[in-house]
Amino acid sequence: MRILLTLAVAMTLLSAFTLYAVNYDTRDLAAKVRDREKAIKAARRDIAILKTDRAHLARPDRIARHARELGLAPAKRGQFDTYRSSNPFGRAMTVRSEDKE
Amino acid sequence: MSNGIIITPGLADGALRRPERSPDVLQQARAFQAERRAARVRSLVAITVMGLAFLTIAGQLVRLAMQGQTEQRISVSAPLATAFARPDIIDRQGRLMASDIVMHSLVADPHVVLDQKEIADKLAMVLPDLNKKSVLNAIADKTKRFAWIRRRLSDAEAQRVHDLGLPGLDFRPELRRSYPLGRSAGHILGSVNIDNKGLQGIERYLDERQRVEPVHGPSLSAQPPLRLSLDVAVQHAVEEELAKAMQRYSAAAAVGLIMDVNTGEIIAAASLPGLDPIITDEHFDKDRIDRLAGGTYELGSVFKTITAALAFEGGIAPATTLDVRQPLEVEGYLIRDLHPAGRPLTVSEIFLKSSNVGAAMLALHDGRQRQQAFLEKLGLTTPLATEAGTVAPASLPESWGDIETVTISYGHGLAVAPLQFAAASAALINGGYRVKPTFLRKSSRTEKRTQRVIAPETSQFIRRLLRENVASKTGTGWRADVTGLEVGGKTGTAEIPGIGGYKAKSVIASFLGAFPMDKPRYLTLVSLFEPTGTKKTDGRITASRNAAPTTGRIISRVSPLLGFLPD
Repeated sequence: MRILLTLAVAMTLLSAFTLYAVNYDTRDLAAKVRDREKAIKAARRDIAILKTDRAHLARPDRIARHARELGLAPAKRGQFDTYRSSNPFGRAMTVRSEDKE
Repeated sequence: MSNGIIITPGLADGALRRPERSPDVLQQARAFQAERRAARVRSLVAITVMGLAFLTIAGQLVRLAMQGQTEQRISVSAPLATAFARPDIIDRQGRLMASDIVMHSLVADPHVVLDQKEIADKLAMVLPDLNKKSVLNAIADKTKRFAWIRRRLSDAEAQRVHDLGLPGLDFRPELRRSYPLGRSAGHILGSVNIDNKGLQGIERYLDERQRVEPVHGPSLSAQPPLRLSLDVAVQHAVEEELAKAMQRYSAAAAVGLIMDVNTGEIIAAASLPGLDPIITDEHFDKDRIDRLAGGTYELGSVFKTITAALAFEGGIAPATTLDVRQPLEVEGYLIRDLHPAGRPLTVSEIFLKSSNVGAAMLALHDGRQRQQAFLEKLGLTTPLATEAGTVAPASLPESWGDIETVTISYGHGLAVAPLQFAAASAALINGGYRVKPTFLRKSSRTEKRTQRVIAPETSQFIRRLLRENVASKTGTGWRADVTGLEVGGKTGTAEIPGIGGYKAKSVIASFLGAFPMDKPRYLTLVSLFEPTGTKKTDGRITASRNAAPTTGRIISRVSPLLGFLPD
């Protein structure tokens, strides 16, 4: 009986201290989760600003200005040709069905 | 050892037997036993108390571990600004058009402020456009614990204020709507108020569709972005070409539209002068109204496309000849052509030469009722709304007699929003199906065209006429032609109504276009408001001299962006 009582008291003490430790671990963990959430929120805010900055820098009027400085312009007639008409080797380059076999 | 056996000191082992006890000894033994019992009771009480104490602590620990402990938070006395987290708005290619960002607002606690004048002076130094008086007013009442000083500072401004180290000032992060493309598509995107709530345009549509989350504090929206049908590259090209046209022809305003004739998707929609979504004053400037959807105008001869379609639907063939040599008298009014042909014209020629007399004869042949029914079937006289808002309803004539039937045939007497006219015209080009204009991206494969409004043959005739009007040098739209691409279209020059009649030198010059005409995919509409004659246009202000070449420039610029490479 005495052993049982001693064991019970010991278990009570052990449980109490374990719960105490677990409680504090939980609080630490909750604090860490809060920090991570804060960091995620901050990162999302930064991403939103960077996304807006990128869209602002990539706006068509700015890109068009730079493109013109480089001598680029919308596609015009004569800039495109078919492979067949531009092929200097004419029919010699055409793959015939028997060549495939 | 215990077991109830009492070992009496002084007695040898085995000598336990009932001794002959003297009364003293008995008394001593009884006292001793009583003392022992008292000691045992005391021990039990002590153990029980200790046990209960431990149990209480253990119980408390279990409770804490199970429930956790709510964090102590400091409550602020100032009211928390309720804001609205909005999803991003992107174009059809996924490019960002509007997004929420977090910015810092400057607030003050007047109760803590030591020197009000110092705060106002120093803040005015780092924020030059800040009104000192309004700052002093805001922090004058010492009993207050909260006052806004400046909403949404930039990071650099916030840093400068922070570096001042003034007591009583603080920052509060807030959401702000940002439009990285500036004025581009400003009318379509609309605007939000200081709390990020949508007021106009697509921003309002987001609110109406419950895509906006009310939040306390600067939380960004987790909603997926709203994908529009607009293409920012095409939008920019249209806006830039319209701006150049306004300058070239000294026009007061201009509108431009590119629409997918099969799905009704609007690829670009511009109304110049444009507006910046974040500059509130511009939204109340009457010169900056959205002329594409927010105003109704008589559009002139572009309406002859509808008159011709009605005639073809009525069984008239393109080769039918009408005598248009003499002016036509209707209800006491004389209808005449600017450049009379001097010979009978076919219906096709009436269209190509833009003969008012011919259009009037066709309209009278069809009659008022058929004209009204046809306009309604095309959706020109019925209410129209898009995601960007309600389109201004058409201004119909008060009484619709023969003269109104005649004037409407060539685009006078009926004022419509250019967007509504473009949507109605799409049915004439796409094979005969009515489309609803939309600013949202659609999947053309899933879209089913069901509402047929004209016969496919009529649409075919209209396409041929539109192409001929641009391809032929005798047509009024040849300046819209683009080498390597089949463009079709119709010009329209409408005098603007003034006091006591129409203003002769003040017109709206429009060009309704489509491309590629072998299988039309896109419709364009360009209108220039009050253009003036220049040396290049020989002083003329007709649409063939300004709106048509502007459309040509726009199409040649946007067609590669839309996947049409020149041959």
